Amino acid sequence: MKAARFDYVRAATADIAVDALARGAVALAGGQSLIPLLNTRSRRPEVVVDVSRLPLTGVEEDGSTLVLGALTRLRAAETSPVVRRAVPLLAEALTHVGHVSVRNRGTVGGSVAHADPAAELPAVCLALDAVFTAQGPGGTREVDARDFFRGPHRTALASDELLTGIRVPLPPPTARHGIAELSRRPNDLAITAVFTSITLTDRVVAEARIAVAGAAPTPIRAHAAEELLRGQALTPEVLTAAADAAAAATDPVDDVHAPAAYRRDMTAVLTRRALRQAVVG
Amino acid sequence: MTVGGGLIGARVSRAEDVRLLTGRAVFIDDVRPPGVLEAAILRSPHPHARIVRIDTTAAAAHPGVVAVVTGADVKSMVRRPQPLIWRSAPDGPETVAYPLAVDKVLYTGHGLAAVAAVDRATAEDALELIDVEYEPLPAVTTLEQALAPDAPRLHEDWPDNVAGRAVVAQGDVEAAFARADVVLRETFRFARQWGASLETRGVVATWDPFTSHLDAWVNTQSPHLIRELFAEVLGLSVDKVRVRVPDIGGGFGSKSGFYGDQVVAAVLSRVSGRPVKFLEDRRESFVATVHAREQRIDVEVAARSDGTITGLRGTVHGVLGANFSTVGLSPCWTTAAVMTGPYAIPAVELNVVGVVTNKPPYGAYRGYGLPKANFVHEHVVEALARRLDLDPHEVRRRNFVTEFPYQSPVFVYDTGRYAECLDLCRDAVRRAGWADRVTRARAEGGHLGIGYAFHNEVSAFAPSRIVNMSGLDHSGFDEAAVRIDSTGRVSVHTGQTSMGQGIHTALAQVAAHALDVPLDHVTVISGDTDSAPYTGYGTAASRAAAVGGAAVLNAATRLRAKVLRIAAHVFEASPDDLEISEGVVSVKGVPGRGVTLADIGDAAYRRPHGVLPDDEDPTLHEREVYDPVNVATAFGCTAVLASVDVETGVVELLGYLIAHDCGTVINPMIVEGQLQGGAAQAIGGALYERLAYGGSGEALTRSFAEYLLPTAGVVPPFGIDHLETPADHIPGGFKGAGEAGVIGGGAAIAHAVEDATAEFGVRITSLPITPPDLLAAIRAGAER
Repeated sequence: MKAARFDYVRAATADIAVDALARGAVALAGGQSLIPLLNTRSRRPEVVVDVSRLPLTGVEEDGSTLVLGALTRLRAAETSPVVRRAVPLLAEALTHVGHVSVRNRGTVGGSVAHADPAAELPAVCLALDAVFTAQGPGGTREVDARDFFRGPHRTALASDELLTGIRVPLPPPTARHGIAELSRRPNDLAITAVFTSITLTDRVVAEARIAVAGAAPTPIRAHAAEELLRGQALTPEVLTAAADAAAAATDPVDDVHAPAAYRRDMTAVLTRRALRQAVVG
Repeated sequence: MTVGGGLIGARVSRAEDVRLLTGRAVFIDDVRPPGVLEAAILRSPHPHARIVRIDTTAAAAHPGVVAVVTGADVKSMVRRPQPLIWRSAPDGPETVAYPLAVDKVLYTGHGLAAVAAVDRATAEDALELIDVEYEPLPAVTTLEQALAPDAPRLHEDWPDNVAGRAVVAQGDVEAAFARADVVLRETFRFARQWGASLETRGVVATWDPFTSHLDAWVNTQSPHLIRELFAEVLGLSVDKVRVRVPDIGGGFGSKSGFYGDQVVAAVLSRVSGRPVKFLEDRRESFVATVHAREQRIDVEVAARSDGTITGLRGTVHGVLGANFSTVGLSPCWTTAAVMTGPYAIPAVELNVVGVVTNKPPYGAYRGYGLPKANFVHEHVVEALARRLDLDPHEVRRRNFVTEFPYQSPVFVYDTGRYAECLDLCRDAVRRAGWADRVTRARAEGGHLGIGYAFHNEVSAFAPSRIVNMSGLDHSGFDEAAVRIDSTGRVSVHTGQTSMGQGIHTALAQVAAHALDVPLDHVTVISGDTDSAPYTGYGTAASRAAAVGGAAVLNAATRLRAKVLRIAAHVFEASPDDLEISEGVVSVKGVPGRGVTLADIGDAAYRRPHGVLPDDEDPTLHEREVYDPVNVATAFGCTAVLASVDVETGVVELLGYLIAHDCGTVINPMIVEGQLQGGAAQAIGGALYERLAYGGSGEALTRSFAEYLLPTAGVVPPFGIDHLETPADHIPGGFKGAGEAGVIGGGAAIAHAVEDATAEFGVRITSLPITPPDLLAAIRAGAER
């Protein structure tokens, strides 16, 4: 299919982009999600504003926070030594996003703003309590990841706001992470995926983060499972209890790849695996 | 005739590859005649609905639109409905389908109007302006829905939704079951799948209003068949139709049929007075190209306690689409026709029932009916072995056909060495050390398993009398011409189609071998019905190398004789005393004094005086029409090493070994490529591919995000061993290889999964094996 007719604007500044958004444009960054939606006429904007040339790229780390420009390509973030050192969970999660050719073009901001419930990056941002920076007509504001994802492909961004950056608080250096993702083929969109970050003190869990993708209308945090783990040694019984608690937090749907019940069951299996991986390394 | 040495059997690189890999190929979308318009087709959003009203006024008035046609318009411009060429159930009803729906739409995606515009985007804009009022009707998408007593009828003049019945029978089945020591019963289900090519289907049609000629570029596997059918449908004599075939990006059978959109493009060209291109986009290819595979098979097997299978009976239900494709229910008939596979089962009675559903037409896909038949007979072998506590390979051996020729229920098997092929595969498994890997993995709590499937394949599907007797209204012979030009270079002219499989290289090898010329002195020319020799049927049914190769071999062999006669005149020697080596003719034993093929070519075309014998015609040109007396049965054995994650139901393939016999191998690399590509599609069919429909008949798989093809990441490394048992009736001894890889893969993968999950007693009787389904089976087994 060919896209319906639209006007194309390349924004030279973020202000111009925001102005275009305020007049009903949609933002084009890496195009890995938007272009297929345009070509299938699933989205029919009057105007597409190309933000890809805005100077919103780059990765910085200041000792407490990792800052990613929204237009940083997924592949650049994945292969950044800074990301790998400071937030290894994020670097590893990015290897699961699409194929390399998709990551070469797709951007971190695009992935977050597209808010696919099964996508890796939104779930990892949720696990790590990331904060998103948005610029609108009235200036910039920050939105916590936990308040950002509102439903499948729905976020807290207003239609006239542009996501400009992602701030990720650095996990403690002793944090360990685990990723367990189930997809039909390597690098397909996940059926379900679990991302964990835990800190152990004398083999007892001091802090645990568990985020699940592909098992609810948005990525979710398994707070009850996290709570259950804190102060516990990771015995098989504790792992199972946490896994079951994570599964109980899901709200999955049926689709052509898997029924909802399977996604719920897999959340338990994957949570156990991700936690075990975090401990074993 | 068996050929040894030389270029037949040589592992040479494909001549096609440089062009294809450097972007110099010309595919259908690269065909852009001046003034060409692009077409788009309005497709039904409903699985079943009456077309109450259709208004194209606004679309026709849209800027950039040149022509708009409805189903009724197209019907008025054709002589007859879409042709059915294969009647497997001669007494059954036939669907009356025009290129676009006229009164009713019968499936989601059924075309009902078309627009030709200056570009595709404009044509799609115009489609949105066509106003259609539908009266939705209840839809049937499953076999059970279609056969229900109160089922909505798709074709209102039919008594029910049954599109035909046929029987495949041999021997005394009643007696076999009466005397059986054991009887097994099983039901198998195969999902709807299709042969998805990287390149979608397309046509560029140019109607000449002054001469009433249709010039059509079509990326088809069957140019001559398409030409004949264009002529029938448009009411033209065949000379008024020219079909040209550009490079093709994959065929897999789904590009072999005659499609309504090809007629639509011709009609739009006639209406607009300009060339019209219709190229399926990826999204519509899921509904515009034929589907395949979907069947339910119920069988009963009678056997003796020693594992000898004495009887097979049951029913093959073909879950067809709403309208027949060009080949009707023949893929389902074929499943029954070959269900005994490599086994000598004396008594067989198989019913074939075709049922129409509100889904796109059902047609050809690599393997035709064979993968399902193979799955059934290989499941039967394994189940019988379990029941009787025998080694399944012993059961295979006990039942193998060993005496050739062998009359199976339909086809006569020419030659075979099944037991040797099985041994070759098992040796490969031993060499690969799979048993140790399984043992080690199981000791560590893993679940690995090994599965086998043995197949045979009716290839070289060509003998015109046999294919006519099977209900096919088309011949299967092949015509070829081989020429040497005035510079001594060779051209091979064939009706076969190059679609990425390497047929040009294979035929060049045959000609170069027969003429003893260097391979790069041979060019293969194909793809234009105005100049190409005739081929019945087309490039399908594992026939191009076997039948086309035999035709080229015979023509080249006769041409060689003429070359030698001319050279003999020059040498004043007997042709029998001459030899050709690397394009130079010399007297045997006197290699220094040669006459080149260029010398002989020069004499044959330009300066015959003193060189060409008086009784020889000028030119070097031989033509052959080859129609074999029988099909050729290729065969092979597939072994798969698989790992199952018993907590998720995910299957990972770790190894894939094939022992294969397609008679004389022309080029092992090409055969291996065919086997690997087919095996990849078997993997897709076994684990990933399913065209799914929702409860009210809506299509759920409309892109490659939902319909999962096997990617490089899920295809394991292959190991291939060749055995060569020549076809004893085909010059060269060639058998077909194009479909072999896909036939045994599903059963071998299923058996590997069963072996890996043996502790849970999992039985695989349907494909594909998806993680949720397999996990459910594992859990059910764990609870038993």
